[in-house]
Amino acid sequence: MRRRILGLVGAASIFGLVAGNGQAQNAVCPSPNEVAGFRTCANIAKAEQEGKLVIYSTDVEQGQAKIVAAFSASFPKIKPTYVRALSASLYAKLQSERQAGQYLADLVNVDVVLANDFLKKNGYARYVSPQMAAFRSEFKSKPEGYFTWAQLAVAAIAYNPRLLAADQAPKAWGDILNPKYAGTMNVKSSNSGVQHFVWYTVREVMGKDFWKSLASQKPKAFDSYVQQYDRIVNGEDKIVIGAQYSGYLEFKAKGAPLDFIFPDQGVPASPQVWGVIDKAPNPEAARLFLDWFLSPIGQKVMQEALFLNSPRDDAVPPPGGVAASQHKLLFPSDWDGFLGSKREFNTEWDRITGLR
Amino acid sequence: MQNLAPPAPLWRPSGATKIELLASATVALVCVGLIVYPLFFLLAESINVGDPQTFPPKDIGIDNFIDLSLDLTVLLNTAYVAIAATAMAIAAGFVLAWILTRTNVPGKALLERLLEIPFYLTPLVGALAWSILAAPKSGFLNQLLVTVVGVSDLLDIYTPFGIAWVMALFEGTVAFVMISAVMKSMDPSLEESSRVTGAGKLRTLFKITLPLVLPGLLGAIVFVFAEMLGSFAAALVLGLPGRFFVVTTAIWQYTLSYPPEYGKASALGLALFGVMFATLSFYRWMVRRGTFATISGKAFQPRPIDMGRARYGLAAICWLYVFVAVILPIAALLLTSCLRFATVIVDQMSFTLQNYETALTLDAVRSALTNSLELGIGVATVGVFVMAVLVWIIYRSRLPGRGAVEYVVMFPQSVPRMVFGLALLTAWLNIPIPLYGTLWVLAIAYFTVLMPLGVRTLSGVVLQIDKSLEECAQVCGATWAYRMRTIAVPLLRPGLVAAWLLIFIASVREIGVSIYLMGPNSKVIAPAIVSSWSSAGTELTAAMAMIQTAAVLLAVLLLLSVTAKFFKGA
Repeated sequence: MRRRILGLVGAASIFGLVAGNGQAQNAVCPSPNEVAGFRTCANIAKAEQEGKLVIYSTDVEQGQAKIVAAFSASFPKIKPTYVRALSASLYAKLQSERQAGQYLADLVNVDVVLANDFLKKNGYARYVSPQMAAFRSEFKSKPEGYFTWAQLAVAAIAYNPRLLAADQAPKAWGDILNPKYAGTMNVKSSNSGVQHFVWYTVREVMGKDFWKSLASQKPKAFDSYVQQYDRIVNGEDKIVIGAQYSGYLEFKAKGAPLDFIFPDQGVPASPQVWGVIDKAPNPEAARLFLDWFLSPIGQKVMQEALFLNSPRDDAVPPPGGVAASQHKLLFPSDWDGFLGSKREFNTEWDRITGLR
Repeated sequence: MQNLAPPAPLWRPSGATKIELLASATVALVCVGLIVYPLFFLLAESINVGDPQTFPPKDIGIDNFIDLSLDLTVLLNTAYVAIAATAMAIAAGFVLAWILTRTNVPGKALLERLLEIPFYLTPLVGALAWSILAAPKSGFLNQLLVTVVGVSDLLDIYTPFGIAWVMALFEGTVAFVMISAVMKSMDPSLEESSRVTGAGKLRTLFKITLPLVLPGLLGAIVFVFAEMLGSFAAALVLGLPGRFFVVTTAIWQYTLSYPPEYGKASALGLALFGVMFATLSFYRWMVRRGTFATISGKAFQPRPIDMGRARYGLAAICWLYVFVAVILPIAALLLTSCLRFATVIVDQMSFTLQNYETALTLDAVRSALTNSLELGIGVATVGVFVMAVLVWIIYRSRLPGRGAVEYVVMFPQSVPRMVFGLALLTAWLNIPIPLYGTLWVLAIAYFTVLMPLGVRTLSGVVLQIDKSLEECAQVCGATWAYRMRTIAVPLLRPGLVAAWLLIFIASVREIGVSIYLMGPNSKVIAPAIVSSWSSAGTELTAAMAMIQTAAVLLAVLLLLSVTAKFFKGA
């Protein structure tokens, strides 16, 4: 675990190197206001005057709808809307808009690789939320205020116990290479930031050729955890590799027959990163939302809506689950290597899943 | 006779004034401009070998086209699925259209409306429904077969044939609509003459009916084939589980990945243009080498062929199609939409209406549905008249370059919609008019990509109208506008109505360009359903699909009743 945390510190220093290049430093707020049960430095009157808020998010539609509805309940004068897409396509859309000088979005939520790229392109506006004190320094950009890890997607292995007895199910990462599971497993596609994270962190533990060996098992690839779980509940597949813990909790709450395996080698915890966008059309509303979202109130709403883990130090577990701190979490030991590995991952993963 | 008009100069549409000519040229130029402008961005992107998000490109080369050799399997997969789906759709469309327009089959009006329903559904809906019905292990039909026959995994929808089947059922309905429009405009006296001279019903069908509807049929083949080449939803839902990729799903993966491979996606899309260019050239050659006019100055009253008792058998064929393409999938979706989580295992089923409640709280359903209906009505109403003028320019005028106009307006049909959507995104993002993120840009985009549909539908009918009717009126001194109002438009009425409905429905179910162009305040329903499928679960997606289907059906019924008088005269 210490090795992983050191890795995180390394990552933070990387973010610091790229973030400190002349961005505004006046976003730190010495005396935040208490409003609706959380502390904020946003100008609420101004935010309400803006009256709108546009969020670009990767969170599933129904979860995102619950989150904005909860925010609206506290701030009825602000009407939040959102665009939901997979991380890469959402980021490509955002980049295309900015390249053409069109600024529609106020806040963005993408995976950590894309967040880092956005930071390099000076895409974030700096705003040090008073809530950031509750997040470890390695979970924030350096200097802090550009982005924050606001969600953790813990991922490992899930299976349907009605199709696979517990003693027949894989227990460790290495077990998934057993030929008896050939043709029965699914994974996420290369578009998934979580899958990239899983690929990299498990490869660090299991060796460089580990995932290449999975190709012979002919796993099927899907864009979302929902499709993955749908298929094992229905019996089309038996095992989900890189299964999101949040998805397991969500399906379990509906009564679906599922079991989740936490391999002894550890479980990847892929961060979802949030930040206010530079040149946002509604900057005060964006700051207010970020403060609310990072606060215990917002994080609780997020966990109830999406079942994801909160990275806050004082986080409670998601409904029906356990807190991230209870797991042996895997993070890249070499963040430089991870951030630069996207192309290699895309090519290797597309081969494994039959696209190329 | 004193009003005899002087012969029109060769460069001028027959009898058109300079103002009319100018108006025609303006319409043609605007329509061509709407296509050529994004085309420029598409070509630029295909040769961009540097940063895909930098425009204009800094590094230029042909690497993206060379890389296409790596996608040979994908190209062959696409060809297989498109040909199989087109063959099935055209065969079914022709048979059904003939039964319902040329025979005295019982329940004709109801069947005709029911057969159009698959076209009202978002393509994803059909794919989703059939994945629920015929997934190898968990499909309802396979579960039934296990119970009845004792054999498991008998049906597998996750195969190339399964994809083609779903595409033909749900995206091939357009063939039925297009062929029906042509058959309705056909003078039945020709068939009657054939019967009187002793030819049997089948012989009349193949020797008289088929050659007469050839332009419409060819138009439908060209159009449906292009639709199938660019089809996305069925291949996405049914191809991925079988690790089977076609051009559109490969493009989907390329554009979703980071960094996005826009260059490769554009090159892949442009590769299909060659195929479509050849197909369109063949179509033009066919329709120009013969005359297909079946509507002349002689009045006719459409009279169906009396099929005797065989009409019940023909009705059964139609009802079987309705069962497979409408009743079965909608029932499967309805059941799934009422489950807490999608499953076909009976003891796991837990029923709820929560999915409908959730769906109605989503922006994706509330504002998106209203936006989609508004766009559909607006684009269809404006589009059908502009496209009718375009068709007249292409097939009836002598405007210089009218042949080129046809090639250009068909272009959006020749590349996968998603690739053209990408080009439209870049094009409209980079125009110094603040349209991006509004419904206006979606309206323009829909009009642009649906031009081939409108032009193809209307051209089949226009080609059937004998030029002598217009020439006769011209000789009598009627102006161009008067001739259009009193001769062309009334005769085109069935085609205009069919085109309006086709464009309306195609707008409401549009995915390819909407995915790229919709913004936070301009959401539309079809991409929202795709997004839901990929992230929110089958049961919620089924609920959204049911809401969309109900809303569209209601809208169509309402519009049909409002225009009942118009239909009556058609």
